[in-house]
Amino acid sequence: MATMIEENGPSTHEQSGVSPSYQARQKLEGLLNKNMRIRMTDGRTLVGLFLCTDRDCNVILGSAQEFLKSTDTFSQGEPRVLGLAMIPGHHVVSIEVEADSLEDAQGFGVNH
Amino acid sequence: MVMKSAVEDDDAGWGLGIPEKMKNNANWVDITHEFKGACKELNLGELLHDKLFGLFEAMSAIEMMDPKMDAGMIGNQVNRKVLNFEQAIKEEAIKVKDLSLPELIGIIDTCFCCLITWLEGHSLAQTVFTCLYVHNPDLIEEPALKAFALGILKVCDIAREKVNKAAVFEEEDFQAMTYGFKMANNVTDLRVTGKGNVCGRSLSPHSGFGKNKSLSRLFFLAGMLKDVEDELQRKVKSTRIRQGEQRDPEVEREHQQFLALFNRIKFMRLLLTALITFTKKETSSVGEAQKLVVQAADLLSAIHSSIQHGIQSQNDTTKGDHPIMMGFEPLVNQRLLPPTFPRYAKIIKREDMVAYFSKLIDRVKTVCDVINTTNLHGILDFFCEFSEQSPCVLSRSLLQTTFLIDNKKVFGTHLMQDMIKDALRYFVSPPVLSHKCCLFNNHQAKDYIDSFVTHCSRPFCSLIQIHGHNRARQRDKLGHILEEFATLQDEAEKVDAALHSLLMKLEPQRQHLACLGTWILYHNLRIMIQYLLSGFELELYSMHEYYYIYWYLSEFLYAWLMSTLSRADSSQMAEERLMEEQVKGRSSKKTKKKKKVRPLSKEITMSQAYQNMCAGMYKTMVALDMDGKVRKPQFELDSEQVRYEHRFAPFNSVVTPPPVHYIQFKEMSDLKKYNPPPGSTDLYLAASKHFQQAKLILENVPSPDPEVNRILKVAKPNIVVTKLLAGGHKKDTKVLPEFDFSAHKYFPWSKSSDSALRERQKVCVCVCVCVCVCVCVCVCVCVCVCVCVCVCVCVCVCVCVCVCVCVCLSVCLSVCLSVCLSVCLSVCVSVCVSVCVSVCVCTRFFS
Repeated sequence: MATMIEENGPSTHEQSGVSPSYQARQKLEGLLNKNMRIRMTDGRTLVGLFLCTDRDCNVILGSAQEFLKSTDTFSQGEPRVLGLAMIPGHHVVSIEVEADSLEDAQGFGVNH
Repeated sequence: MVMKSAVEDDDAGWGLGIPEKMKNNANWVDITHEFKGACKELNLGELLHDKLFGLFEAMSAIEMMDPKMDAGMIGNQVNRKVLNFEQAIKEEAIKVKDLSLPELIGIIDTCFCCLITWLEGHSLAQTVFTCLYVHNPDLIEEPALKAFALGILKVCDIAREKVNKAAVFEEEDFQAMTYGFKMANNVTDLRVTGKGNVCGRSLSPHSGFGKNKSLSRLFFLAGMLKDVEDELQRKVKSTRIRQGEQRDPEVEREHQQFLALFNRIKFMRLLLTALITFTKKETSSVGEAQKLVVQAADLLSAIHSSIQHGIQSQNDTTKGDHPIMMGFEPLVNQRLLPPTFPRYAKIIKREDMVAYFSKLIDRVKTVCDVINTTNLHGILDFFCEFSEQSPCVLSRSLLQTTFLIDNKKVFGTHLMQDMIKDALRYFVSPPVLSHKCCLFNNHQAKDYIDSFVTHCSRPFCSLIQIHGHNRARQRDKLGHILEEFATLQDEAEKVDAALHSLLMKLEPQRQHLACLGTWILYHNLRIMIQYLLSGFELELYSMHEYYYIYWYLSEFLYAWLMSTLSRADSSQMAEERLMEEQVKGRSSKKTKKKKKVRPLSKEITMSQAYQNMCAGMYKTMVALDMDGKVRKPQFELDSEQVRYEHRFAPFNSVVTPPPVHYIQFKEMSDLKKYNPPPGSTDLYLAASKHFQQAKLILENVPSPDPEVNRILKVAKPNIVVTKLLAGGHKKDTKVLPEFDFSAHKYFPWSKSSDSALRERQKVCVCVCVCVCVCVCVCVCVCVCVCVCVCVCVCVCVCVCVCVCVCVCLSVCLSVCLSVCLSVCLSVCVSVCVSVCVSVCVCTRFFS
């Protein structure tokens, strides 16, 4: 078995020989195509299907809708349909997913 | 899975497709920290994505927070609060009553500018709908503004309907989307007015008012505008200066402002009524509409001179050049825009508004003239000519909908099939359509011809529609329609053969050979020629391609066209002779053999001229290439053959004439088949002869139209230049020729950037008024450096046959005093046989 060089030192969370980077990928892959809500630095919120990400946390959402007002009162803010949208990592304030989606994904949330 | 938003949807159905649970925020769990942490484990450049999602899709995503891509950002960048209509009323940022005259004038003018900007291709959301007043005209209390707001909504609605119906626009021409706005369709509480007949009536859309419900609603709106207009007219009269009264500047200004407002309301009413009239189905309505727009045009100068009365906008320092005026909010519709990169619609200035309207009205007037053309070929020519001035989308659409009212009948009266039959008779006089021929009533022949003509209808309607598109799109579409015409050609040949065999049995002396085929071939050739020539207009060809394009035109397409036209002509003559023979007992008529102008003669002449021009250009280019004066690209991955085949690719579907493939072209154009093969000098001379020939042909055209003069403007200098080149002028220099298409979009005149050549400017200023009988025979072959100033004033009857290759700016007076200051090596052999009773003012200039 090839030894993997860990950037941050040997991981202490090895589970049956699975490396953390593999786990991370599994976690993220579990979230693909799930509904995601992202708040941006200028106060806007985007809701869409999580399609792609990379190391810098740039996220691509599909069928994205843009809401202007606070997400607590959805009914007020009328969404603007964007389609395919990419949010640069440094403009992401918060990322949320629906609780139901987390059943498939491992390693997120309280339930796991 | 990846849904692109439906940009073309007119529904403001943004709510569709969102699952209910997305709106409920109780389900969301924050995973920011874990997510970011997990992302850090990815490698640099690694993308985590679903199997079906790749770089191609990733590339087409809009980047948020990038001002070049994110249209939603702009709202956060401006300092002011973006209010919609209702909010603005509440915050008292906008007035709905008690507006001053300057305010009204300013708002109206800005609205007109927005309307024009929309017609020029921008979206309603960024033009007309930035005016808050049109969002809900019912809330406006000021009657003039209310009527105007409703009026402009209606104008937009009708214009949009026309443009959509005509279907001669593309996304670069026009944005039809209305973003779910109500276009004054449910106008209530209108007063029905006749002359002085006012009755209060609530007219909801549901009140039955006969079958012309929508039309009558439109006329009520026009009536509303008329009321406002009448009221304003009273004000204008009351503030007018009276005899003997002192002129109060305040009152005078008020008078001017009332007048300004009155003119604008009247203009709006006339414009609206004209557009309404165009929607009516009767042909007579076109004449009415023409009168209305002429009336509207009469108001334009008064409107222009009163622009300064309107309040101006305060300059805004944020992005976009939209003026921020009371009543307007450029960003109010930002969220309705489709998710593309942000577009800034620059609203035109008020000073330009009148000029635009004036040109628009001119175009509409021209459009109305189309109903005076009855022949299908004439209509085609009309459409082509109209298209050459690159008219706006609205006028093009009006032309289309006037031609085919409701897409059924031409001008609402003729069937397309009948027009095609008339065109056939006019062009080639096929026996089957002639009353005197037995085939005319033959049941089977009728079937053949009727089915053929029916099959022709759609392609010809398409062809006319193609000429309604903008110039760039036309070329592409012309290439495609050749396929349909190829099918027609096939059918034409079969029908011709069938009719011919029928005819042979019934009337052995007559023939029906290739009549229909000739007509279809003629149109085929026209399309192919237009396709190639438009490439020059659109600047698609590189200089090194000119030679084969011009070759294809002169040696091939125009050659075919000439033979087709002469065949049609002889077919006509044959038919005419037959008609004459059948009319017996009128021998007296035979003595009066008046030379009738052949209907196709003008076309034959023009084709000859074009052919010569193309031939001249072809030979010039080949010669320039021989002299190494044409830059060729380094053919690394392709070759001249590849480019050639690409240029003529649409012709591959055509059967007659058969496409000329590259190898064949090379063989046909090979100069080595001549013994001895011509050198560049010979080619230049040959080119010069072609230009000369074109010039001769065109100068003999009896009533020259602007096109003839345009070609002459190019032919004449080209004669000189090619002669110079033949004489070895600057053969050794590396100076490359430049081609100037400004005089004629298809034929350039060549200008050398050589300054030495420019010094050779011969400016002859001949001032001669000849009423003279001199017998001076001038054959001036000047190839010289001369500054010739002739002042000829002849008092004689001269017969001027000038075979003159010179450049002179002559204004003739009648006493000949030649004061020639020529420092030239000129071989001037004056052989002037002039008989002119003319005052010629000709300017020919060459450098």
